Amino acid sequence: MATRNRTPMYRKYREALRQVRSPSSPYDATSSSSSYGRHGGPVIELVSASLLRSDRPYAPLSIDDPGSSSGGGAVTVGLPPAWVDISEEISANMDRAKVKMAELAKAHAKALMPSFGDGKEDQHRIEVLTHEVTDLLRRSEKRLQKLSASDPSEDSNVRKNVQRSLATDLQSLSMEFRKKQSTYLKRLRQQKEGQEAVDLEMNINGSTSRLDDVDDEFGDVGFTEVQMSKLKKSEVFTREREREIEQVAESVNELAQIMKDLSVLVIDQGTIVDRIDYNIQNVASQVEEGYKQLQKAERTQKQGGMVMCASVLVIMCFIMIVLLVLKMIFF
Amino acid sequence: MALVSVVRDYIDRMLQDISGMKVLILDPLTVSIVSVVYSQSDLLKKEVFLVEKVDNMSKESMSHLKAVYFLRPSSDNIQKLRRQLAAPRFAEYHLFFSNILKIPQIQVLADSDEQEVVKQVQEFYADFCAIDPYHFTLNINANHVYMLPTVADPHSSQIFCDRTVDGIAAVFLALKKRPVIRYQRTSDIAKRIAQEAAKLMYEQESGLFDFRRTENSPLLLVIDRRDDPVTPLLNQWTYQAMVHELIGIEDNKVDLRNIGTVPKDQQEVVLSSVQDDFFKANMYENFGDLGMNIKRMVDDFQQIAKSNQNIQTIEDMAKFVNNYPEYRRMHGNVSKHVTLVTEMSRIVDERKLMLVSQTEQDLACNSGQAAALEAVANLLNNESVSDVDRLRLVLLYALRYEKDSPVHLMQLCNKLSRTAKYKPGLVQFLLKQAGVDKRTGDLYGNRDLLNIARNMARGLKGAENVYTQHQPLLLQTMESLMKGRLRDVDYPLVGNHFQQGRPQDVVIFIVGGTTYEEARTVALHNAANPGTRFFLGGSVVLNSKRFLKDLEEVQRISKSTSV
Repeated sequence: MATRNRTPMYRKYREALRQVRSPSSPYDATSSSSSYGRHGGPVIELVSASLLRSDRPYAPLSIDDPGSSSGGGAVTVGLPPAWVDISEEISANMDRAKVKMAELAKAHAKALMPSFGDGKEDQHRIEVLTHEVTDLLRRSEKRLQKLSASDPSEDSNVRKNVQRSLATDLQSLSMEFRKKQSTYLKRLRQQKEGQEAVDLEMNINGSTSRLDDVDDEFGDVGFTEVQMSKLKKSEVFTREREREIEQVAESVNELAQIMKDLSVLVIDQGTIVDRIDYNIQNVASQVEEGYKQLQKAERTQKQGGMVMCASVLVIMCFIMIVLLVLKMIFF
Repeated sequence: MALVSVVRDYIDRMLQDISGMKVLILDPLTVSIVSVVYSQSDLLKKEVFLVEKVDNMSKESMSHLKAVYFLRPSSDNIQKLRRQLAAPRFAEYHLFFSNILKIPQIQVLADSDEQEVVKQVQEFYADFCAIDPYHFTLNINANHVYMLPTVADPHSSQIFCDRTVDGIAAVFLALKKRPVIRYQRTSDIAKRIAQEAAKLMYEQESGLFDFRRTENSPLLLVIDRRDDPVTPLLNQWTYQAMVHELIGIEDNKVDLRNIGTVPKDQQEVVLSSVQDDFFKANMYENFGDLGMNIKRMVDDFQQIAKSNQNIQTIEDMAKFVNNYPEYRRMHGNVSKHVTLVTEMSRIVDERKLMLVSQTEQDLACNSGQAAALEAVANLLNNESVSDVDRLRLVLLYALRYEKDSPVHLMQLCNKLSRTAKYKPGLVQFLLKQAGVDKRTGDLYGNRDLLNIARNMARGLKGAENVYTQHQPLLLQTMESLMKGRLRDVDYPLVGNHFQQGRPQDVVIFIVGGTTYEEARTVALHNAANPGTRFFLGGSVVLNSKRFLKDLEEVQRISKSTSV
């Protein structure tokens, strides 16, 4: 696809026209927004990069290097409004959650590998990480609600859109987290069942071999013993599984709550709400509606009985004062 | 995906090199251009958090945002831009224009940029609305101008031609090709557009268009809508064309607010082949097959819905929560298509379109004057046929049998003039514009022996589906082009161009508007013949209502100027 860059020609004209306009100021290199060259007033500049991570997607702004633009100096940047801080905080939280999820994936893999140890510390670590991630996601979601604006201004549209974008990211992050959790649990269950099956097999083999060696009476006793140990094992398994299921239920609940709140904010792709022209129209019609309402309110207020009453009372007050003065004079 | 992906690439490139929060500012025409290929969620991913119109007069300063302007280079836009540059609201200004800028315009902008907030000025040639991969439109409002002779309103004709030439040039710049140009001999406006386009591409901006020469030169063919006035008048029975004919599609959006009673979230819907897989698979299917496919989709969906009701274990619950967004999207999609098909069925029943359309198709495809006359007369007497359908039937009859028996035609016109809304003389006016003397192509296949034989064979074979037997004239043109047999007498080349080999990329531009039936023909032809790519474009996308509106407008103008 062909494009054509007109910037060099544009800059040439701009430079030439500026020379024509003010031929006596060669110090135009660093101009502030309100004065031509010389000593402009204090200029607020936003120093970037050192304070912010470079891979942060929602960095407020970076200044052009003075060297890149010919003639034009440093761009003066106003301070961004306060809600930008909130959005930065949320995105920082989400990045942290991503890092923790990567760690969690590693811990899952380690826990699933067959090991000689008890695996209790692995479990503990997984639990801790899971809680941390869920916590981060929940906190991000709460802060997200705070982003919605109350006053209909230009800025509120930007806020709404930032909110939507963060909500989409948050939703996909939660879904990914859920999926990872459920695959881990499924594999864990498979493993446990495998162990159980192996144990059962061993038990059965053991019992049959015993049968062969011993006569019926001994066989009865052997059966019962085997049954007892089986019972004990299955009890332990059931208790563990119960605990796991409770955990799953809890996290499902939490995430369901998050998803429900988020689904209000996230745009459904492919529908009319996702169309740019629909959103532009809506903004225009909202502003128009607001203006109409204001006009109506003004009119009703003007016509209102209140105004009449008030003016009548004021007139009456005047008349009374005049009468009083007259009374004073004549008496 | 050709045209759609090219426009998407342009917009991607606009946004990708600019970091930080951005605001995108568009004018009314570029809003359509961007909206058909880019969604709001795509913009959010690129950190564009606000979209505004260029005539927004707000003074609120938002210096934490960078402004990306994407405008047409019209003098109106340049003036608005001047005012905004003189009092900048944003930190940086990146200007992108959808077509070629003139030097004075650049100077004007440079003059008003006292605070030097403009960081780049580029030309990105996305000056057309890419509604489908091989179909584009220019959405020209005053489309009727193409039927007027230039002398009637030279100013409007000039505006129309300029916009058309700009759009065509943008298509070729986007595809990076410089074509050989042919036009329809009998149409003055087609000739004018072809010559102006040739002048632009080969003389005025020859540097810009100097692309790598390929063995087979690409082709631009400019033809006139009046050469095939039958296609826009017919009722349609394939999904996309039918929705446009009965309800109306604008920039891939369908407005259902004034049509019957629809649920609140389906009042405006999007029909885009790029975003909606079901639509992509069914947009060219006829109504019967479409019904079956929708029923299958609804059954599938009901199965999923039932399994979602049946949540018994924790795992089911987890699975439901995971799949909820997908479920919601499917639900929306199913409702949308079911609503559309329901509405269309209702309209078909109300206007008795099955009956009317059968006669229309006969008028368009088969001969037999006496039978046609009788059928049309019967339908005109039928009370439940609406006025616009009666008008269409008489127009179709007139186009086919204008020379055969003028007396009968007069009788039909008289019957028609008893209806209130009919503007008298419209039938004659259409014949004057698009009658058999004005047409180049062989619309009814009765001029050349080969076509007559072909028609007879088709008649003997019988049609598979009576309602979709019509093939637009465009198909014949495309097939002749492919075989290299498009007559130079009828479609001459501009200037001293020379067509090298058989063209592999052809853009057909129909002055006066395309129809979705023709777009379907092009898409199916492209799918069946991967060697040659045809792109179809027009000044608008027509349905019968729009075509008749243009015709009536021109009739009104010519009456007022001739009196």
